[in-house]
Amino acid sequence: MVSTNTTAGYPAGREASVPKYSTGIAKVVNSALYRYTLGAVVETRIGRIILLAGVPLIWLVMLHVGPIYQMLKISLTSHYPVLPGVESHFTLDNYAIFFRESLYFTPLIRSFIFATIATAATLVVVYPVAYYVAKIVRPEGRSKALLLLLVPFWAGELIRTFSVIMLLANRGAVNVLLREIGLIDRPIPMLYTSFSLGFGLVYLICLYMLLPLYSAIEKIPSPLLDAAADLGAGPFTRFRRIVLPLSRDGIVSGCSLVFLTCIGVFATPMLLGGPNTVLFPETISGFFHGASDKWPVGAAFALIMLVTALITAAIFMRLVGGKKRSAF
Amino acid sequence: MEPVVKFDNITKSYGSHVAVQNLNLAIERGKFVTLLGPSGCGKSTSLRMLGGFETPTSGRIMLGGKDVTRVPPNKRNVNIVFQDYALFPHMSVAKNIAFGLELKGHDRQHIHRRVSELLELVQLQDYSARLPSELSGGQRQRVALMRALAPDPEVLLLDEPLSALDAKLRQQMQIELKSIQEKTGKTFIFVTHDQEEALTMSDTIVVMNKGRIEQMGDPDTLYGKPGSVFVANFIGETNLLRSTMVGTEGDVVTLDWNGITIKADQGGLAPKVGGHLYVVLRPEAIHCSAAEPTSGNRIKGKIRQRVFKGNHTSLMIEVGGGATLNALVHPSDVGQLNGEDVWVGWKPETATVIPDRHAHN
Amino acid sequence: MRYMFADAPRATLTACYWAFLLYLLLPLTLMMAMSFKDANFIAFPIGEWTLDWYVKVMQDKQFLEACLYSIMIAAAATVSATVLGTWIAMLIVAEGIRGRVVIFALACLPAVVPGMISAISLRIFVSAIDMPTGTAAIILGHTVHAVPFVVVMALTRLRTMPGNLVDAARDLGADSVVAFFRVTLPYLGPALFGGMIFCVLLSIDDFVRTFFLGGYRPTLPMLIFAKVQGGMSPEINAMATLVLVVTAAVGLYAEFMTRRARTR
Repeated sequence: MVSTNTTAGYPAGREASVPKYSTGIAKVVNSALYRYTLGAVVETRIGRIILLAGVPLIWLVMLHVGPIYQMLKISLTSHYPVLPGVESHFTLDNYAIFFRESLYFTPLIRSFIFATIATAATLVVVYPVAYYVAKIVRPEGRSKALLLLLVPFWAGELIRTFSVIMLLANRGAVNVLLREIGLIDRPIPMLYTSFSLGFGLVYLICLYMLLPLYSAIEKIPSPLLDAAADLGAGPFTRFRRIVLPLSRDGIVSGCSLVFLTCIGVFATPMLLGGPNTVLFPETISGFFHGASDKWPVGAAFALIMLVTALITAAIFMRLVGGKKRSAF
Repeated sequence: MEPVVKFDNITKSYGSHVAVQNLNLAIERGKFVTLLGPSGCGKSTSLRMLGGFETPTSGRIMLGGKDVTRVPPNKRNVNIVFQDYALFPHMSVAKNIAFGLELKGHDRQHIHRRVSELLELVQLQDYSARLPSELSGGQRQRVALMRALAPDPEVLLLDEPLSALDAKLRQQMQIELKSIQEKTGKTFIFVTHDQEEALTMSDTIVVMNKGRIEQMGDPDTLYGKPGSVFVANFIGETNLLRSTMVGTEGDVVTLDWNGITIKADQGGLAPKVGGHLYVVLRPEAIHCSAAEPTSGNRIKGKIRQRVFKGNHTSLMIEVGGGATLNALVHPSDVGQLNGEDVWVGWKPETATVIPDRHAHN
Repeated sequence: MRYMFADAPRATLTACYWAFLLYLLLPLTLMMAMSFKDANFIAFPIGEWTLDWYVKVMQDKQFLEACLYSIMIAAAATVSATVLGTWIAMLIVAEGIRGRVVIFALACLPAVVPGMISAISLRIFVSAIDMPTGTAAIILGHTVHAVPFVVVMALTRLRTMPGNLVDAARDLGADSVVAFFRVTLPYLGPALFGGMIFCVLLSIDDFVRTFFLGGYRPTLPMLIFAKVQGGMSPEINAMATLVLVVTAAVGLYAEFMTRRARTR
């Protein structure tokens, strides 16, 4: 686009760096095509509003709300997809099935237990680390310390899950090491148990806890701790009376995020869990795959899980957070 | 001559809050006009209405003879220098200045010439490739000014552009702004709450208060003959003596101030005997001496406080009845005022009277 | 930081950090090491080392196709999520918009809904609008998933933007569209770049949505999942190592670029 004329007119050196003034923009703006279309639209207030809000609102309603709405709709019908010759009608049966059979009830409870334990374990494991990075590492070193922790985060869900197998399998690192030092004769079966599933979940999600905790703890002014120490508070008192209450926001958003992620994890339990650790997502999945497609039941179950998970998270936020706040 | 800008009975209100009320103002081409007033007086709102960023609730704004009341900012031939400059952080100095020219559809050669010319005007030729973040406050200020001047607007609007600078740089920029205005011959409309800036640069000052024009005039008039208590207080330091009218002799009125008889210029008012007035007496108009002055107003007083201010000393003098006067004394005169006792004197023509709005005379 | 506890807690916390880092990196390191094992099965100790698995993976047509397919989906989802997310963020910060909070909540909804449920609901939605499962459905699902992250990142940046930059552009003759493209968008640049990389990683990593929305062509996670379920050999380790190295490099690069842009 640079005319040779302009650049050739200047000798080499600093003056050669004549900025490439974008005269093109005026050509576009002054073109008839622009003036009678987009240009005319933004001239008016209504036009500007439509241009600004049209696409986003359609997208939000269609694709952020739409799927949930469709799921709700289908969960209240007797048949879906509707086959020829079959009449579909309104019913609450799909929800009733859930309460009738413990076969379905147990996995949901198990899902909640796993998610709760994993969330609590993550909080306990990650909090000291977040505190260390936010308050003990010098400011200029913080982003490096954080970055080191982020590397595994980029590995992705499946690869991280797979790598846990390396550690816990019968001929995995832990068992081989224990046998080498002579502590055991035969491998401890760790994979495909509740332990491996819990371990894998924590491994999968701990970084979702780190970032909210880190940013909350980092915001606590360090002189506050000095002041407390000056008034005679020991390390434990300072932590309990100052750091913990002031990092509450981080705890709330970190725990909600981890809990909701945990509830919805699908691949990890299938790879790390065993027959006794079937979680609810796998149960739901069964209604959509395989010979006996029962979409309405699956949709109802998914909604039951969504509602209970959101209520649990909301109760937790209310109890611990005190104030109403969004997770973000 | 047709005024370049005309506010025709402009009112702007936000809900029940009236920011500007029935503003009528005509601005002559090529003048440096300052809108002066405390924050919330409506000066910035007026400027934003002229820039096109606010629409008046009622009234008309004329620009160069055309009604622009509802014309959007991008179609108006006025440009603003914003308070914090609003330089585009991702564009170089040259690109910032060229922004308006690019949109006008000038060719590259023309833009380059114009940008170089403007950079030369403020001696920033060597900085054209820098980003705004690599400039000092004063340099950013100059770039913002040149960016606004580049598209050759009919009127240049400046929204408190000096407030972010430190005191020394601010004084330097005041002089520079004035000289750029003179060189370019543009109409500048400058908004500030700083009376010193207004006095230094303006051809005309419009003092605003509570959404209305309080007084308009050249700096001399506003300082020497303020039209209201507000203006007298807002511009410069002042002694306001609430007095009662006693009599008139030509241009000079005789008044009673706390039992002391004083004379002052009548300032175009025709006050009634017995009515209440304020006498505006600037501290530097007062002459302090150890001996009694031979003519003019003279009162005996006691020095209660001395504040040394470098090139002068400020005295607080009690003149009886609990009333005090502030006076400025030149260093060469301070020597003779050793004790408490002092004679305060001023010429009647250096004091002017203004009506007391709260009194019903 | 002299503000800290006495030395004992400080040392404990330091130990916590390094222990945690070890915990994070150990399984991945073991996984990578195993990719060099000269045997057909996964087991420690490694014994003989070889590069054969990499040679095999690089010749594996299925793997290469899955890579391309994943990248294609990620690119399409990222572009659409960035456009939509930015647009929504612009709407949220616009002057005089009513229901800002509601719009923001709606924008964040897909990030709050657990992954499995989001996948199911998208599967039902796709079927309800008679859209076949496969490439288009996956892209749609990944876009829905990524939009909230773009919105949040764009909003964070927009909130630091001086309010009168757009005013200045309009004052100098730009209409709203030109002001957006010439001033707002370049200002958002670094944040959007970071957001885009994040979307790419999110999409390449996604398993559950692809699982429900996909057709017969496997994406990378689908392929790895199938291989893990179907009996393991160090070939998977080589595959996973390659993916990990590439994604980590992209992530680091993005982090580096956004950080550099932020300090300017």
